[in-house]
Amino acid sequence: MGGYSIVSDVVIKTVKLTKRYSSWWGSQTVEAVKNLDLEVYRGEIFGFLGPNGAGKTTTIKVLLGILYPTSGEAYVLGKPAGDPETHHRLSYLPENPYFYEYMTGKEILTFYARLFGIPEPERSKRVNQLLDRVGLSRAANQPLRNYSKGMLQRIGLAQCLLNDPDLLILDEPTAGLDPIAHIDIRDLILELREQGKTLFISSHQLSDVEIVCDRVAILNRGELVRIGKLEELLSGGYVEMIAEKVSENVLEPIRQLGGRPSWHDGRLIVEQPDDGSIDRVIDLVRANGGHIISVKPYRRTLEDLFVETIQGGRKQ
Amino acid sequence: MNATAAIAGATFGEAVRKRVLMVILLAALVIILISPAFEPFAGRGQRTLVMSFGFGIIQLAGTFIAIILCTGLIPTEIERRTIYTILSKPVQRWQFVLGKLLGAIGTLAFIYAMMGLVFLLVTRLSLGAFEPQVIKGIVMFFFQSSLLASVTLFFSTFVSPLVNYFLSAGVFLMGNLMSTFLETIQRNPEVTPLTRIPVQILTIILPNFANFNIQNPIINPEQVLTDELAYFIQTIAYAIVYMALLLVGSILIFNQREM
Ligand SMILES: Nc1ncnc2c1ncn2[C@@H]1O[C@H](COP(=O)(O)OP(=O)(O)O)[C@@H](O)[C@H]1O
Ligand SMILES: [Mg+2]
Repeated sequence: MGGYSIVSDVVIKTVKLTKRYSSWWGSQTVEAVKNLDLEVYRGEIFGFLGPNGAGKTTTIKVLLGILYPTSGEAYVLGKPAGDPETHHRLSYLPENPYFYEYMTGKEILTFYARLFGIPEPERSKRVNQLLDRVGLSRAANQPLRNYSKGMLQRIGLAQCLLNDPDLLILDEPTAGLDPIAHIDIRDLILELREQGKTLFISSHQLSDVEIVCDRVAILNRGELVRIGKLEELLSGGYVEMIAEKVSENVLEPIRQLGGRPSWHDGRLIVEQPDDGSIDRVIDLVRANGGHIISVKPYRRTLEDLFVETIQGGRKQ
Repeated sequence: MNATAAIAGATFGEAVRKRVLMVILLAALVIILISPAFEPFAGRGQRTLVMSFGFGIIQLAGTFIAIILCTGLIPTEIERRTIYTILSKPVQRWQFVLGKLLGAIGTLAFIYAMMGLVFLLVTRLSLGAFEPQVIKGIVMFFFQSSLLASVTLFFSTFVSPLVNYFLSAGVFLMGNLMSTFLETIQRNPEVTPLTRIPVQILTIILPNFANFNIQNPIINPEQVLTDELAYFIQTIAYAIVYMALLLVGSILIFNQREM
């Protein structure tokens, strides 16, 4: 027994994980992941975000034992990363997955089921079930070379579900897919969370994960720049109130409540922090003869956070 | 074991769909089939012609197929990223390498079976008698090619396919010639130990491919093998031991490999 099995709720853990690529004569190196500290807990959907080249795929490959860390440590399901025993309980969807093209949908899933060591007749049963679940029953006997990108992605998801895994690592699962396929995959992800599975999802497209992730980490140039619960990271939104016929007397009290009032065409526009103080501002405006036109919350989006963080990182 | 078998099966399935390999196989089969047509040019007698020609084509095709197939076995899996979904399953790296090698050997068994059957047919028709020697020759060539496949697979764990073609072909040629070369040197009293010893070492290290070339005694029956069975067993055992060593080496290197 090694690693972090004591804390059984930590499914993925990296400690000062660093991965450097070097050409074999060692003259050029790329530090793809730098001192990454990460913990992913059982049952959560963890968004692993960052622009292209941030080091997401590299981290995932280390977690799977396809690459070895240059320094630092990585643990998956309580064992050092890459331990084939833990691979019974996890599954992986690579970025732009590619499969043996000569095989049919059914053959490729049967192949993976054999790699998982699933015996017959269980194997055939599960393969057929999954073909059905991802909507490929009718294409089951066609070779994969005739499949569209979306169909290949669904085969990719099906091979992830063969072993009924505890942990799913999905690398850019929606990249390059049409919107309908996005929704399908999001529904599947939510369904898997219902079943108590842990999902580690990398993405450079934020809209996909925004709705489903419990926690996110933002990676930029190999470095972790933000990590936390989505609602915490997205706090700091504001409420915008527009009113008219207000006397200027309200300005000072509003500022004292933390708001930012301004005038546009004789209308008062207030940006008030999203902390409940908007009620007092409304009272104030009314008491001063004002008429409320609109009150509208502006939540921060993941996109805002992303742009802020990445640009913040670039300025340094 | 199931995982290894699955990988071997997938490797075989892909190999027999590989156009280059099947073109070589088909060409070889066609040439063997039409070889009796060259009869009028036979100076040394019909049997010698049919046998040596057939064996020559079979060995050539088997050698090419072994090298072409095995240079790509592992690099292709990495290049098109099919290896990621495999190694993220409960599959040990040694199982992957072993599966690849077994798949390649299975493919060679298949192509030698095809060529052997056609050659048996041709010899039966043109020479009027069933030639058991054909089977012996085919078996020896099969082991020769399997050994070559292991050599190529071994190199493929650390050199690019292009380099591997030359490296494997070079080792095959050297491995065919070294023992004769060494004998020549040893018979010559003028050769100093400074030259002889490196040649001796190289002869021992390099796989001896010449032992499998038993077509010479088969083609010329007057050249007799003293104990044929012992010779066969020894040569096949040599191939298996050498292949096992290469397999271990391949696995050790592949274990360090990053993709
Ligand atoms: N095999 C490799 N050799 C050298 N550099 C690489 C290799 N793979 C990725 N990189 C580099 O490492 C960095 C991180 O890449 P990657 O992990 O693929 O990022 P992401 O998945 O976030 O887009 C990039 O700068 C990329 O160019
Ligand atoms: Mg990536």
